[in-house]
Amino acid sequence: MNTATRATLRRLAACLLGGFVLALMVGRQEGSLNDFGISFHQAVVGPRIFVFLLIGLVIFVMVTFWPRVVPYLTRPGVAPLGAGLLAVLAAQTVMNWYDPLVSSTGNGKFSGVRTAANASPNLSSVSVAFFGWLAWTLVIAALVACAAAIVTRVRVFGYVTAAIGIVGAVLAYVAHSAVVDLDGGIDHSLGVYADIVGFLLLACAGITAVHARAEVADTRGFLRKVMGYRPGLPIAALGVILGLLAFSTAGWFGALQINDTLAQAHSDFDGTGISSLALNYLGWLGWTLFGAAAVLSLAATYLRNRMLAWVSLILSVVGVVLTFLTLRSMTDIGAQVAPQFGGTWKNLGAGGFLACIVFSLFAAATAMVISSTSAGVRRNVRAKAPTDELPVTSMVKGFRRSSNAMPLLIIGGALALFYPPTLTLTWQNVLVGQIGVFVLLAVGLNVVVGWAGLLDLGYIAFYEIGSYTTAYLVGALPVKPPSWLQMSPLVSIPFAILACLIAGVLLGAPTLRLRGDYLAIVTLGFGEIIQILAVNNPGGFTGGPQGPTVPHPRIHLGGINITWGQDNLPYWYLLLIMLIVVIVLFYRLEGSRLGRAWAAIREDEVAAQASGVNTTRVKLLAFAIGASTSALAGSFFATQVGYFDPSLFTLQASILIVAYVVFGGMGSLQGAIAGAAVLTWLPQFLKAQVPQDDRQMWIGALVLAMMIFRPAGLLPAKRRKAELEGLDAAASSETAAVPRAGAM
Amino acid sequence: MTESIDLSKGQETPTSPAVSSSSTLLNVDDIEVRYGTIRALKGVSFHVNEGEIVALLGANGAGKTTTQKTVSGMLRPSLGAITYDGKRIDGIPAHELIRLGICHVPEGRHVFPRMTVHENLEMGAFRFKKIDQTDLDNVLEMFPRLKERYKQLGGTLSGGEQQMLAIGRALMGKPRLLLLDEPSMGLAPLVVAQIFEILRDINNSGVTVLLVEQNAAQALGLADRGYVLETGEIVLEGTGSDLLADDRIRAAYLGEEIAAS
Ligand SMILES: Nc1ncnc2c1ncn2[C@@H]1O[C@H](COP(=O)(O)OP(=O)(O)O)[C@@H](O)[C@H]1O
Ligand SMILES: [Mg+2]
Repeated sequence: MNTATRATLRRLAACLLGGFVLALMVGRQEGSLNDFGISFHQAVVGPRIFVFLLIGLVIFVMVTFWPRVVPYLTRPGVAPLGAGLLAVLAAQTVMNWYDPLVSSTGNGKFSGVRTAANASPNLSSVSVAFFGWLAWTLVIAALVACAAAIVTRVRVFGYVTAAIGIVGAVLAYVAHSAVVDLDGGIDHSLGVYADIVGFLLLACAGITAVHARAEVADTRGFLRKVMGYRPGLPIAALGVILGLLAFSTAGWFGALQINDTLAQAHSDFDGTGISSLALNYLGWLGWTLFGAAAVLSLAATYLRNRMLAWVSLILSVVGVVLTFLTLRSMTDIGAQVAPQFGGTWKNLGAGGFLACIVFSLFAAATAMVISSTSAGVRRNVRAKAPTDELPVTSMVKGFRRSSNAMPLLIIGGALALFYPPTLTLTWQNVLVGQIGVFVLLAVGLNVVVGWAGLLDLGYIAFYEIGSYTTAYLVGALPVKPPSWLQMSPLVSIPFAILACLIAGVLLGAPTLRLRGDYLAIVTLGFGEIIQILAVNNPGGFTGGPQGPTVPHPRIHLGGINITWGQDNLPYWYLLLIMLIVVIVLFYRLEGSRLGRAWAAIREDEVAAQASGVNTTRVKLLAFAIGASTSALAGSFFATQVGYFDPSLFTLQASILIVAYVVFGGMGSLQGAIAGAAVLTWLPQFLKAQVPQDDRQMWIGALVLAMMIFRPAGLLPAKRRKAELEGLDAAASSETAAVPRAGAM
Repeated sequence: MTESIDLSKGQETPTSPAVSSSSTLLNVDDIEVRYGTIRALKGVSFHVNEGEIVALLGANGAGKTTTQKTVSGMLRPSLGAITYDGKRIDGIPAHELIRLGICHVPEGRHVFPRMTVHENLEMGAFRFKKIDQTDLDNVLEMFPRLKERYKQLGGTLSGGEQQMLAIGRALMGKPRLLLLDEPSMGLAPLVVAQIFEILRDINNSGVTVLLVEQNAAQALGLADRGYVLETGEIVLEGTGSDLLADDRIRAAYLGEEIAAS
């Protein structure tokens, strides 16, 4: 036996052992410390061990044949193939397909639906087959065909892949809706949509593989070409697809567990005294508006006609307003008819809000046409070639606004406004209490850690001070403020910010001369002190470990009366306003003189000092700005949850926020937002997908993978990327960095 | 060196402690600087006249960098006074002295590594609301190499180019007094000659220069006057040519073998 075979055998053994260990790790760990036997038995004895051994085998094959595959990895079509496979795999293994099954059998995933489908005789045979064997067969067939297309470049293989992908997408939709039709109930699951996207990506992979002219994949260039062909057209097309779903199949009103589509809502609401506008909307006006806006925006984007674009934009805005009014009067009637279930803005299905998003998409698409001059179109089409002219004020102006910013803002705004109402109550709670608050915190910490380069491990202390300041000022603490100082929660926000500004300066002034690790240790100590102070209840001020109960916010201003209560959705809009203000402010700050000064001290403090930057003041400002953002978040949090206790403000929370910033991409505003959003969303998402005990493992795996493959973060800042990937990598363009595939 | 050294023959400048003539731009009077308990400067006095190039020479650890950092406001003296343009400036922080036209090119080529050449130069004009286009043009004309590498990141430049960038950045702050700390450090002789040539141009355009160097021959060739610093004290002073001719200088800094006198 020569050394090569021996090495291969050893690798095979290692891979199989790895599969074995994975089998032990994944799955419900039953039994106690005293009887490892039970969990071992469950993990190893039984057919599931073969699945894990198979994983080991696959890894072995991949490692062994990897060098043969590498030359093909830069070929066109590989990226969409990978993304598509990932989406389909995720959809058919971990994601939920049918929510009612979760409550009845505990398994609403693909496999759960398969079991249920086999047991129901009335289900169409296509659906049974799809869930039974067809789906996986299609995936494997698409994979084989696409691999053949990538390697051989024979057109037929590409077309076969595309056909399989499209068939897969259609069948997934048909099979899923057959199941939902048969069984009814409210379904929010996303599995089928991920599956459809995955199959469509596979189809794209096949086409790209055989049709790309280049030898080497330039995914970004390809995307730019697609998006630049007719600016806005893809967005308008997306609007049409979503609109068709919204107006034909989506639920519009869901009281008493019935999901009314638009047409059903029309017949149900007819004669209930609903406003004639709403009735007409449900009957014909909605469809007409949608159709007109769709045709107009498609035409405007295709013809690049600004006149049409303006008309379509106006029509889209009218569409949003009318949809909104209709939804409002529907819930008013709902509240009259069944007050125990109804209420303003209650019981609405996803359809109406989806329609609002659709109209916003049309608006975004046409805004793109309006904002892009003919020169802009050309700029979009041509890949951004390096120009020779000297930019005079690149940093003074901050980063250049692309012509895509406006439509992205419209789409983002539409999603932020109209998507949350369609979420379940649990997810609304997550959105406000986890995602929103932590995004705000991460954005603030990004100023300190990302922009000024100061590692602050006691950041949560300012959040805590903000919360307690609000609690004190509304009179929720054992020690009451003097009566003239007592105020409502929203009014207390500026005072909370002020308190944290002062605390930030008090902590920062003596310690900011310290660098790196030392500053981290001092801030860590500060965080601990503040937390322990709150628990220890000095002078009976904080109320100790119980924590205060803070009233919900309320606005009485002239004729305006807004009260926030238990419902989370109104808090979301309050938080959204805060987020927008903070993000816009910080965006401006990044390009300002102060932003440049931060960049300078982060890069080289001596050089910054020699350039005339007042380093102490600038660092202190970063610290104070971070602290006051934290205070804003804390103040909001206190009045939103109503009751909190000091056990929340631990070192772990501080470290988590640092992790969000790093994960998103240090020093990048978008990165901080994305990092916090993904990492707060993920644990909640995984709750329904993987066994409780394995959750941390999956999150850890994701963070690890991320740090290996994208060390600069999810949406890295330009400069930070250069730091991690080496200075030379940043200077060269993407295509130049990809080695040309050799002769094959 | 413990023995006190009398000034070399043919000294033209008065030997009395620097007299502030009307054209004196910078006057350093008997300053002492401490790092904790270490006395790095033990009473240093010198002056720089408007329009001059003055060289500050000395071996490693003599206190040259300390002196220059004290003048530029990065360190504050524990004793003594620094007058600039007739005003006391000791104790004023660096970012305020820049507004008075004291620009410092720190030791060791501190450029911003992940900013482009252009952004580095922009940082030099940080004290102004807007950068002055003519200044930028002048700098790029002075350093054509920088113009070629305009969008390259500072950290990817060669040593000589980084030094040029550091000087160019200081020039963007419209200096009246330019402080340079060992601009020749670690550079090839040809590049050093190039940089010294440019320093002469800068001086000719009306900027007063205080140059710290170990490279005594080059520095004294350029400077109008020079001071020699040794363990925190000035031990020699004179015009550039006089010092260049001084035996002790030749022995200590130019490495020439001199027959035992
Ligand atoms: N940050 C510091 N802390 C303590 N001692 C220092 C520090 N910087 C310089 N020194 C000491 O001060 C003396 C003068 O240093 P420096 O001015 O850097 O000399 P030069 O620039 O002439 O080589 C040296 O003995 C050095 O060790
Ligand atoms: Mg030195």
